[in-house]
Amino acid sequence: MIERHLTRLRIRHDISEEEERVIRASVSEVREYPAGQTIIRAGETLRYSTLLLDGLICRYKDLKDGQRQIAELHVPGDFADLHSYTLKRLDHNILTLTHCRVALVPHDRIKQVTTEHPHLAEVYWFSTNLDAAIHREWVLSLGRRSAISRMAALFCELQVRLGLVGLADDKGFAFGLTQNELAECLGLTSVHVNRTLKQLREQRLVTFRNGRVEIHDLAGLREVAEFDPAYLYLDRRPR
Amino acid sequence: MPRFHIHVHNSIGTTRDEEGQELRGLEEAEQRAVEGVRSILSEELLRGSFDLPGHVDIATPEGEILRTIRFREMVRCHLGEEEE
Repeated sequence: MIERHLTRLRIRHDISEEEERVIRASVSEVREYPAGQTIIRAGETLRYSTLLLDGLICRYKDLKDGQRQIAELHVPGDFADLHSYTLKRLDHNILTLTHCRVALVPHDRIKQVTTEHPHLAEVYWFSTNLDAAIHREWVLSLGRRSAISRMAALFCELQVRLGLVGLADDKGFAFGLTQNELAECLGLTSVHVNRTLKQLREQRLVTFRNGRVEIHDLAGLREVAEFDPAYLYLDRRPR
Repeated sequence: MPRFHIHVHNSIGTTRDEEGQELRGLEEAEQRAVEGVRSILSEELLRGSFDLPGHVDIATPEGEILRTIRFREMVRCHLGEEEE
């Protein structure tokens, strides 16, 4: 059930069989949600963290006029809100972008896991640090990258992150977002996203159509994005 | 909610909106079109020039054009001389 989570952890960390057993035992419940549902609202008191098993979810914040900024996307194997363990409420919302299956991990079990297994405490601390690194890369995109470079950077990031859990290869990945949701990730409008997708298509870099990103030239896409995967800390950590 | 497609036409050609989006009505589609074009123009302007000849067509999924808006209607340009 949490195979993708374990796969993701084992890319960077040595996880023993005993630790695997403890992680598996920490799940209390599995839930399914349709696309487009805000499953956690900013401010609500939380007693569990949400681990994504299947689908895509995002963290977003919005303004009174309805404008929404997606701050990070989560792929299967990611915790959407491991930080709620210490924060106990979120300053952002969590939304399903596709049909999703999630596992709930109660905070008291996270406390037990991290107290009794200091190595797992480090592993999960690393995980929240990695989320922060991804946020910083998105700040760079939103603040400084052009529209085409911004979109290329997002596709490059997802190609790597989905690839780690077997959901992407050099040719592309399933990506069930609407143009409008893509616009909300990139700080653009839907019309501008459509124009930018056309540019990427015409440069024979990537095509996004029918819920799939087809990558025609990964090296070229990375060049347009100035993509350096170092911020994803893909190297294996010593125990 | 009805679905609207916002097709953009300018000097680099036509960008067809194959996906479209569900919106409350034509008024909201017009608002999205204006915001979208202003966003494209603003990025062009950051590179030093912008392409004002152009228009958007707001269409139904069947292709019926409900409204055409020229880029010129979406922005106001003040081209007068600077006051001394």
